[in-house]
Amino acid sequence: MQDDDLPWQLVLVFTPLSLLSLGGGQSVIADINKQVVDLHGWISQADFVDLFAISRAAPGPGSLLSTLIGWRVDGWTGALVASLAYFVPSSLIAFAVSRIWNRYRGRPWQGALEQGLAPLATGLILSGAFTVLLSSSGALSVWSIVAASAAVFILRPKLNPLPVLLAAGLVEVAVSALS
Amino acid sequence: MTDTEPKPAVTLPQIFALFARIGLTSFGGGLSAWIYREVVDRRHWLSEDEFLAGLTLAQILPGPNVINISIYIGQRLRGTLGSVIAALALLLPPMVVAVALLILFRNFSHLEWLHDFLEGIAAGAIGLTISVGYRAARHAAKTNRWAPAVLALVFIAIGVLRWPLIPVVLCLAPLAVLVARKKV
Repeated sequence: MQDDDLPWQLVLVFTPLSLLSLGGGQSVIADINKQVVDLHGWISQADFVDLFAISRAAPGPGSLLSTLIGWRVDGWTGALVASLAYFVPSSLIAFAVSRIWNRYRGRPWQGALEQGLAPLATGLILSGAFTVLLSSSGALSVWSIVAASAAVFILRPKLNPLPVLLAAGLVEVAVSALS
Repeated sequence: MTDTEPKPAVTLPQIFALFARIGLTSFGGGLSAWIYREVVDRRHWLSEDEFLAGLTLAQILPGPNVINISIYIGQRLRGTLGSVIAALALLLPPMVVAVALLILFRNFSHLEWLHDFLEGIAAGAIGLTISVGYRAARHAAKTNRWAPAVLALVFIAIGVLRWPLIPVVLCLAPLAVLVARKKV
């Protein structure tokens, strides 16, 4: 592949996913993973897991994963192109719908759309989590941290996630050092 | 818009400052709750109903929920320019931080423990995502009796069988809306 084509390829990967990321950025992680690792071979699976972790450890929306993948693939140009391709299409829809929505508030079709798509979006969110879990090392410690973290956040939804995530990182370091 | 009730005038710099701060200080998710606290509880820029309608929209539309809700809030407060400022303020500073972290990480990527650390953080973040999915599923099941079936279908198709996302969503979305219209 010629380097000149890379920005365009990034647009072709991220724009459709932007428009289909129902339920938020989490829902297309599985497909981003498949496209950048399996289909295009831009980065390795280990790279992908690292980038995912950094996107979660960094402040701001987790969807910055697209920025990081773009940067890894084609430097700052890639970061900018991937970000625009991923954020602009869905944002334009959000903007248009925000404007129209209040004019029709309370109509039955709004409730039907909302209730119908909610479980679909939830299924996508959980699929994304499952895919990333399967692509990890699969060590018992990883599964245990996932279970413990899920339990903590289900029991305490308002908890600041940062200390829990840092603790999760330290636990994995300790477990690896001991084994 | 029929709402003529006087609102405190919110300036574009105020919108920028708030969303930049939220973007830079939030880690690992949960931004919507943070935005709610700042915009509704503390600043009274939007009523609770206005915010919740926007959050619902943000969740059903494609795109990251937190960016969609920022666009909605910016649009309500200051029209087109307000929504552009809110979204950019939320995204740009963390973008630079994320790439800086990645560059730092490359210089230290030979350190084995750093990979373990990041794998642990990723595992913790998966747990966070599962908890969000769990709460959303519980909520959906209360209003829509087909919710568990739709959720299971999507999970099996995308998560387990790894079918491509686009056709699965296009086939299931009309079906999901149709069955939700049947009375519970």
